[in-house]
Amino acid sequence: MPLHTLNKAPGHNAFSDCIERLAADDALVLLGDGVYAALATTAAASRLAASGATIYVLRTDALAAGVATRLMSEATVIDDAGFVALTEHWPQQMAWH
Amino acid sequence: MATTARKSVLVVTRHAHQGSALGRSALDAALVSATFELPVTLLFQGQGVLQLLPEQDCTEAGIRNLRKVIESLPLYDITPIYVDAAAAARYALQAELLPPQAQLISLDRQRQLLADHDHILGF
Amino acid sequence: MIYSLLVLAAPTSGHASLTAARFAQAVVARGHQLKRVFFLDDGALTGLAGTITPQDEASALAQWQQLGANHEVELILCISSALKRGVLDATEAERYERNTATMHPDFELGGLGLLVEAMQTSDRLITFGQ
Repeated sequence: MPLHTLNKAPGHNAFSDCIERLAADDALVLLGDGVYAALATTAAASRLAASGATIYVLRTDALAAGVATRLMSEATVIDDAGFVALTEHWPQQMAWH
Repeated sequence: MATTARKSVLVVTRHAHQGSALGRSALDAALVSATFELPVTLLFQGQGVLQLLPEQDCTEAGIRNLRKVIESLPLYDITPIYVDAAAAARYALQAELLPPQAQLISLDRQRQLLADHDHILGF
Repeated sequence: MIYSLLVLAAPTSGHASLTAARFAQAVVARGHQLKRVFFLDDGALTGLAGTITPQDEASALAQWQQLGANHEVELILCISSALKRGVLDATEAERYERNTATMHPDFELGGLGLLVEAMQTSDRLITFGQ
């Protein structure tokens, strides 16, 4: 399976297209406006958690958006090196944007 | 490029024709991949299925007619083309409106396509 | 591993282009080879030479330039995307009888074939959308 990346906020088609195809053995990196999807206690965060996929949030973008201290507990914060490490592990990437 | 096995490419096109150049770029990327003899699969997903609407008349708008480009894909051996069945239903795109080489596929089959290729170009 | 990137994001729309440039730096820092960055659609605006970034903002152009200069990464602007957006090298400026080249010299114009060739020769192709 590919590594999924999402850089659009909930409400955008990219979010719904992505989450409809996310399964428990998938990994998703939230970047850009995508980080808003991991805001704790929101409907978007519940859907992400319910997918069972592993959710990563790009640190720089979470800090810039002001969500770094308000993330859903299931999300793991990664830096740029961590992002690259994920792409080493997953052979392909699907960019939702 | 001749010595190693060809990498396979899945092109996913998710944006409607109007208001975005991405649809056209996705088709160009698929065509050029085919020209370079990379095995290429094209998947229309979400709003991208709107590119398949027949009877696009782009003369007044002065833009390219994507449906015409899509109909030329079999000439480049890009066939079948895969279409997100749920999105087609959402936009009332019945099977008879689609190009003859279109295959409507489920979410599960779309997930399978994502896993089956060496590279994915998400447009 | 060998990496190549596809950048669809304009340097001016949010910070997607900066995120992509940071990712590119991290690819190199982790010991991989970054072969080529292909800029398509609005991404081709990245190579516009005359952009001025406000002092309190990071310049995407400067980040990409650094990568090209320090790590021999090929920075390719899709030629049809670039021409459409007024990003011309000297040859194209002459061909279309424009006064001056507008492309930054660290970039090159090229066809989609270079994206396809990058896919064939790279282990990873990572896309950064708008």
